[in-house]
Amino acid sequence: MEYIVKTSNLSKHFGKEVAVEGLNMNIKKGDIYGFLGPNGAGKTTTIRMLLGLMKPASGSIHIFGQDIKQHRKNILARVGSLVENPSYYPHLTAYENLEALRKIIGVPKKRIYEVVETVRLTEVADKKVKGFSLGMKQRLGIAMSLLNQPQLLILDEPMNGLDPSGIIEIRELIKRLPEEFGITVLVSSHLLSEIDQMATTVGIVTKGKMIFQDSIEAMRTLAGHTISIQVNHAEQAWRLLLAKGMKVEHENDFITLQESSNEMVAETVRLLVQANLSIYRVEEEKRSLEDIFLSMTREDSAV
Amino acid sequence: MISMMQTDFLKIKRKGFWFLTFLGPIGVVALQMVNYGVRKEYLLQQSENDWLYYLQNITAFTPLALVLGIAIFTSFMASIENETNAWKQLIALPVSKMTVYLSKFTMLACLLFISSILLMLFTLGFGVFLSFDEAIPWLELVKYSFYPYFAALPVLALQLWIATVSKNQGIPITTGIFGVIFAYSAHIIPDWMIWKWPSLMNQWDEPLINVLLGLGVGCLLYVVGMLDFTRRDVL
Ligand SMILES: Nc1ncnc2c1ncn2[C@@H]1O[C@H](COP(=O)(O)OP(=O)(O)OP(=O)(O)O)[C@@H](O)[C@H]1O
Ligand SMILES: [Mg+2]
Repeated sequence: MEYIVKTSNLSKHFGKEVAVEGLNMNIKKGDIYGFLGPNGAGKTTTIRMLLGLMKPASGSIHIFGQDIKQHRKNILARVGSLVENPSYYPHLTAYENLEALRKIIGVPKKRIYEVVETVRLTEVADKKVKGFSLGMKQRLGIAMSLLNQPQLLILDEPMNGLDPSGIIEIRELIKRLPEEFGITVLVSSHLLSEIDQMATTVGIVTKGKMIFQDSIEAMRTLAGHTISIQVNHAEQAWRLLLAKGMKVEHENDFITLQESSNEMVAETVRLLVQANLSIYRVEEEKRSLEDIFLSMTREDSAV
Repeated sequence: MISMMQTDFLKIKRKGFWFLTFLGPIGVVALQMVNYGVRKEYLLQQSENDWLYYLQNITAFTPLALVLGIAIFTSFMASIENETNAWKQLIALPVSKMTVYLSKFTMLACLLFISSILLMLFTLGFGVFLSFDEAIPWLELVKYSFYPYFAALPVLALQLWIATVSKNQGIPITTGIFGVIFAYSAHIIPDWMIWKWPSLMNQWDEPLINVLLGLGVGCLLYVVGMLDFTRRDVL
């Protein structure tokens, strides 16, 4: 499998504090990779290393199959990025800001009009950025990241400061990129709901370590339902069901079924009744993605 | 590199860089306009060669203006990049960090050079206006206008280095202020201090030494600063 981004054992520390540790990130072509983690998890630090802004303490980074150490310029020519807050020159207009970048990356002037149109800043392109709202600055940042027609777009918390309609707009834009332009996107966030609505693959990082990395569907199945049954003798019920080869757990008065198909529930209840156990309650428990995310990041290990 | 410099010149728009480039030499000559305006007769009696004496008066303030200008330019330049941490965007572009640094240095060196050209023109202009008896000492005029510039290159390299790598902009401002104080006290500080060099004073009374030292040590400090800049992480 050829990955667009592949890091091996990537680590970075600041003094004694470990920011990123043994991180293996794999991003496939055409993915929208949601890079998820609570504040201080190491997302921005990882992204800085991907962009060659910081040198890793150890480990390697390959982008487009090339090592960033040897091919930094080559790689960066095909990468667009927005790290943390957008950078701009407040005393220049939006147009001049883009022109400053355009001169360096050497794309035709019409590209400026295209990206300004894409993020809908055309009307204010000739105004100084100083007077822009937070959302407009964020859009300008995104316009800047698109200017060089990147094959890989790296956006660090791109929804910062956007209002709900702005969020939807940028989300729709991000979702369009892989299909329409073949762009692979890495987008970081500390909000699962945001990632859930656009990502195809999710990487969850906490305390510098990658604790989950798989498709969004795989993550959703983790969030599947469980059935819990309250009985008078939970321990006895648990042994009985285990002996029948079922996947169950027990805790206090409850036993929990991992599988929740109708047949499975019916079979379980029948067995318990036959064994003369009293069934007080049969409940379905849904775990939201949010619960999973929280429990993953709290326990610092896979579910 | 050319495109990098075009970008750097675009970024200093509306930030007063060009204004200061003109203001420096105007200020230096204006001081002599006042001086000669008030006591021309007295000044003309001071020396055998009025043109040379006038050039020396001009040169009394050139180093100060240069060192002050360097301090202001370098910290303005750094503040433009620091304001929204534009460094991270700049360094994530497909350019080498050396190019970024060289472009900044070259731009500031260009502005100061333009200042020096203007200084020569203004000095010449007011000198002609004063209509001294002697012929215009062209060689001396060129020397007094450009020697301090070359002798000040180490200060530029040092200030650029400090300004680009300091997270706290108080540091380059402090070193800048001390630089100006040193430049002002050029006649009492030792020869090895780089802030003395633009005054063209030294124990051998040979200004060319300061120029050569300026070029040599300027290059050295430039390379050290650039290497340090490329080595550092960008936040
Ligand atoms: N320049 C630095 N110096 C010291 N520590 C740092 C530095 N940059 C990051 N850290 C530390 O590294 C850890 C990871 O920070 P990072 O900014 O990568 O987190 P993040 O996942 O981007 O968080 P957030 O969601 O808040 O943006 C944090 O504990 C932070 O304190
Ligand atoms: Mg961050």
